[in-house]
Amino acid sequence: MSILLENVNKFFNTPPTQVLTDITCDIKLGEFVSLVGRSGSGKSTLLYIMSSLDTATSGSIKIAGDEISTFSQKKLHQFRNEHMGFVFQFHYLLPELTAEENILMPARKKGLHHKKRDYAHHLLEEFQIKHKFDRLPKQLSGGEQQRVSIARALIMEPSYLFTDEPTGNLDSANGEIVMTIFKKLNLEKKTTIVMVTHDPDFANIATRQIYLSDGKIT
Amino acid sequence: MIFLAFRQLVSRKRQTLLTLAGIILGTIAFIVISGIMLGFREFFIDQLVNNDAQVHITSKETIIDTPALSTFFFPKIEHVFWNTPPSTRKDHARIIYPAGWYKRLDNDPRIAAYSPQLKTQIILTHYGKAISGQLIGVVPSRQQHVTTIRNYVHGGKFTDIGAGSNRIILGQELLEKLGAHVTERIWISNGRSAPIPFKIVGSFQTGVSALDANTVFGSLSDAQHLNQTPGYVNEIAVRLKHIDQAKQVSEDWQKFGDEKVQSWDQANASFFNIFKIQDAIRYMMITCILMVAGFGIYNILNMVVTQKRKEIAILRSIGFEAKDIIFLFFIQGVVLGILGGLIGVLVGYGLCLYLSQVPFGGGPLGKGTGTLTVSFQPAIYIRAFTLSFIASIIASVLPARAAGYMTPIDIIRSES
Repeated sequence: MSILLENVNKFFNTPPTQVLTDITCDIKLGEFVSLVGRSGSGKSTLLYIMSSLDTATSGSIKIAGDEISTFSQKKLHQFRNEHMGFVFQFHYLLPELTAEENILMPARKKGLHHKKRDYAHHLLEEFQIKHKFDRLPKQLSGGEQQRVSIARALIMEPSYLFTDEPTGNLDSANGEIVMTIFKKLNLEKKTTIVMVTHDPDFANIATRQIYLSDGKIT
Repeated sequence: MIFLAFRQLVSRKRQTLLTLAGIILGTIAFIVISGIMLGFREFFIDQLVNNDAQVHITSKETIIDTPALSTFFFPKIEHVFWNTPPSTRKDHARIIYPAGWYKRLDNDPRIAAYSPQLKTQIILTHYGKAISGQLIGVVPSRQQHVTTIRNYVHGGKFTDIGAGSNRIILGQELLEKLGAHVTERIWISNGRSAPIPFKIVGSFQTGVSALDANTVFGSLSDAQHLNQTPGYVNEIAVRLKHIDQAKQVSEDWQKFGDEKVQSWDQANASFFNIFKIQDAIRYMMITCILMVAGFGIYNILNMVVTQKRKEIAILRSIGFEAKDIIFLFFIQGVVLGILGGLIGVLVGYGLCLYLSQVPFGGGPLGKGTGTLTVSFQPAIYIRAFTLSFIASIIASVLPARAAGYMTPIDIIRSES
């Protein structure tokens, strides 16, 4: 169940730039990898390509041995729903829904939102925001919002968690909380985590670091 | 997704209510305008169709002029010069062979009823007051199956005319002009003979002034006697089982004899052109109103889609497909359309009910009760709902599709 990238290139047309050059890397199951590098080094693009949200211009990306470019849209979405969790710099919570409903959205896609309710509460409890399960996102603090969005990413118990600057919008205390959650997740659930960050302290928590510079692994 | 769609609708109450109001107004406008227009039309057609026969078979009056006679008398000569150019009328003031028509009408399955009539011009005299009018000699039991005249009779029954006892029913206006009352006796002459006394056994008021002001109904034999033309019939009024066959029937019968056959819609062709124009105006107005409502939906949904780019991105990344996103926004338009349509239909119905109670005109337009005639045809309501529903679907498809085309990575990239 590892992620295998071979000779991945990525071009943008406007303006014509090569963002990633000949990336080959292997992320093994249960690893906690941080992608580090300066802004513009292509680390976010690499994350989105290996997580199927973006497509590579050339090269192959295999997840658990399957080439993801051959997946149908339906299969791709189903795979994302079941096996991948995403945490972004912004929480992207749906403002109309309560914390609990937001967390259960991925389960709703498969009609599992009743079955998963207990697990959602378990996650909320673990993240110390259990009492706020019926609050709307705007009634939560920034750190709480981010924890809700992590719970949403984890509700389907994914094998992979992709996260792009998860602490970018948080103060250091809340940043610590988030990192602790990730560390625990990686240790206890053996979830494979790929994290983009430019904070060296947080990058060090990962078991492996991949440095990018001008679209190349160094 | 329906769950989320409802949540989104509820969470932006003001926009939702405004959009709803647009659809509701459009639907109500359609219902009320259609109700009044069609109500008037129904009333009008009812008057046209039912006060009068649906098909008339009348004796034809042919003008005989110079060319007709020239070709008849001098078929070989090209130019005939007359000292005194002949001009006359071939006067069949009667249907030549009514029994033939009766047989034909009896055997035609499309016929509901028919009534032979003798129409003749008369002079009515009452205490020195003389007014001209038209006497229609009928067989009452037949006539009342052909037209709705019996519904308009006051002070007696239409069949009180009887068969040959000099009893008549007058139009209300005519009665007033004569200054006569029901049960009184008036004198009637055809202008060529001595007046004969008739007893007034009732009056009628159809609301059609032309009828009420100069028509007298009497029995067929009395009319024939007065006119000194025993056995004459100069018109047969026909009622059909299905009104829409009138034209076909009249065309079929046209071939038979010398008589002129005319259906009610041929006799009133100009009204149908007015109806067509009315319909065109009605639909144009409704299209405009619904377009405005539709643009309302389109605008708001478009705005919502733009506002919700981030949420679309996250929904896509947690496994919701493009078609789920399209459905999310489309269903909001559909819900608005259904809800607005339903409320519009209900309020429109209430408004129509109210309008049908409003005093309006009375008199000739008032159908006796003097209120606005409003149509409650189910077709109006079905059409109103369908139109507003279609408008909201069209208006929501476009923004929904636009939302479906968004890919998560484009949104995320443009956000950060």
